[in-house]
Amino acid sequence: MADLTADLGFIKLKNPVIPASGTFGYGGEFLQFFDLDLLGAFVMKGVYSEERGGNEPPRIWETPSGLLNSIGLAGPGAEGLRGIIKEVASKTSTPIIVNVCGGNDEEYLEVARVLDVMEEVAMLELNISCPNVRSGGSCPAQSPSDTKKVVRLLKENTKKPLIVKLSPNVSDVPSVARAAEEAGADAISVVNTFLGLALDVKNRKPVFKNFFAGLSGPAIKPLALKIVWEVAEAVNIPVIGIGGIMTGRDVLEFILAGATAIQTGTVNIIEPTGSVRIINETLELMDELKIDNLEEIRGGLNI
Amino acid sequence: MKEEACRVITNTIIQGRYYLMKLESSHISENSKPGNFVMVAVSGSNDPLLKRPFGIFKTDPPYFYIYYEVVGKGSELLASKMTGDLVMVVGPLGNTFPEYENENILLVGGGRGIAPLYFAIEQYSGSNNLSLIYGARSKDDLLFTEEIGKFALKEKAFYTDDGSGFTKGQVTTDIKEIIERNGINITFSCGPDKMFESLNSEIGSLGISNFVSMEAFMGCGFGICYSCVVKGSDGKYKKVCSDGPVFRMEEIKWQI
Ligand SMILES: Cc1cc2nc3c(=O)[nH]c(=O)nc-3n(C[C@H](O)[C@H](O)[C@H](O)COP(=O)(O)OP(=O)(O)OC[C@H]3O[C@@H](n4cnc5c(N)ncnc54)[C@H](O)[C@@H]3O)c2cc1C
Ligand SMILES: Cc1cc2nc3c(=O)[nH]c(=O)nc-3n(C[C@H](O)[C@H](O)[C@H](O)COP(=O)(O)O)c2cc1C
Ligand code: FES
Repeated sequence: MADLTADLGFIKLKNPVIPASGTFGYGGEFLQFFDLDLLGAFVMKGVYSEERGGNEPPRIWETPSGLLNSIGLAGPGAEGLRGIIKEVASKTSTPIIVNVCGGNDEEYLEVARVLDVMEEVAMLELNISCPNVRSGGSCPAQSPSDTKKVVRLLKENTKKPLIVKLSPNVSDVPSVARAAEEAGADAISVVNTFLGLALDVKNRKPVFKNFFAGLSGPAIKPLALKIVWEVAEAVNIPVIGIGGIMTGRDVLEFILAGATAIQTGTVNIIEPTGSVRIINETLELMDELKIDNLEEIRGGLNI
Repeated sequence: MKEEACRVITNTIIQGRYYLMKLESSHISENSKPGNFVMVAVSGSNDPLLKRPFGIFKTDPPYFYIYYEVVGKGSELLASKMTGDLVMVVGPLGNTFPEYENENILLVGGGRGIAPLYFAIEQYSGSNNLSLIYGARSKDDLLFTEEIGKFALKEKAFYTDDGSGFTKGQVTTDIKEIIERNGINITFSCGPDKMFESLNSEIGSLGISNFVSMEAFMGCGFGICYSCVVKGSDGKYKKVCSDGPVFRMEEIKWQI
């Protein structure tokens, strides 16, 4: 049977499948569906320093094979999250990743510091792309120099491995990825949602109060795959591929494009046991294609 | 709650755009109570992507029923399912109407909101004195009146907006008299938000316990995507799928 291990260097995961932030709650909600130990790791919903209510509804809109969301990062705040993390950690040994959000560099650091001292947290994922929170629209992921600044700040003041999650909504993602790498990022995860627009013709209004919303799901897969390939070419740290992954075949496509592991997003929302199905399908497909381990095909396109 | 492939036993038109689907699942049929709902995959592909929420209409283990109106792409696909087809279902989801004994309870249904109330009649009419007010746009939208007639209800009143078939009016038309006459101290209601708004202004301050079962656009149905929120009277958002769908009327911030 094929070996599903995904080696990020700073941690070895038993398989490459990591449910993505915002699509897996805080993990515990899925215990009624399956044993979290089956996963490679999982990422908790994004957290700011303070409690937040999130955006005014509507918060989602269905598009052909896609989902637009404008949730607005509702959540309990970093301190409030501590108890939730301890509770889930007592029920699984799978590595827990927390998605760190902030309105400015100081807030990113404040959140990261609270989580950095928790032994239950294996890694931090820095969410520098924030499609659903309107704050003048400026996010560090928009510029390589802002990215470098915030990543360096966190690397200098925290100890946990740091994954930097990039936005696809910039003209040159690889240069932002390189900036994160230079500032000491341990891995890159990419992509967050693509900004999109839904309009209501009858009322001549945007569907969402925040105007734009983030597109995810199978509709974005080819776009995400392209960016993952470009980023993997540009950096030497591990890349975690994200975007529309629904099947084991999709997983192997992202690995082939150069990803070391992958995150599953929207699939968890629409099919609670989807990530487990995807792990099983990946294994079956590797056996069928006689692939012994993921390293054998990673970035190994015949071109 | 579980995610499983359920077999369609029957899927029949009740009237016009209204369908009743009988599905097989021991887990769902044995563990559902009035108020619970299921998320149903309407297509086997990625389009439409989201499952659709439907209230449990009744159970008869190992079978359960959903009653639905065809209003869009998803429900239209559901209407095309045939006996023997497998559909992915997640459930049972959400909370339920509270269980009482020997109380005078009034059920108020608007349109397709009759689904969880029918289940409540079936489950609770033996142990409580139930009365029912049921309203819809026209007689073509007011269903199951015959089946409902088989249960022992203290009083039942049917209304249509256009006066076809039944008394012209809304569910609120005679509600105060009905509450008075039957010594009602508890109400269970389900219907559109507009109906809840008028119920709230009519009976919200009578000092009785009012429970509403709400609808919202849902992503997951089990509390993880935060897409189905309504504003609570405390100013905080509540998730209809996992904090509800049943709320105490005073927990929700109504518009009027
Ligand atoms: C807890 C619960 C229980 C329910 N129980 C029942 C039941 O027992 N029987 C029943 O018939 N129905 C029930 N519903 C409603 C049912 O889920 C919807 O009618 C169904 O999802 C419609 O799907 P569709 O694809 O056919 O329609 P769609 O094509 O999805 O849309 C129908 C209408 O909604 C609008 N719409 C679609 N998406 C959004 C969005 N994100 N935000 C705002 N507007 C949108 C569309 O423009 C259209 O007018 C229930 C809903 C909930 C939440
Ligand atoms: C409802 C929803 C909420 C999300 N919340 C977050 C979040 O809090 N932090 C974050 O970094 N990404 C968030 N995302 C983005 C996902 O983690 C993922 O990057 C994106 O959905 C693309 O993957 P997919 O196509 O597999 O869904 C969210 C996505 C969705 C659909
Ligand atoms: S539908 Fe996802 S939280 Fe309610």
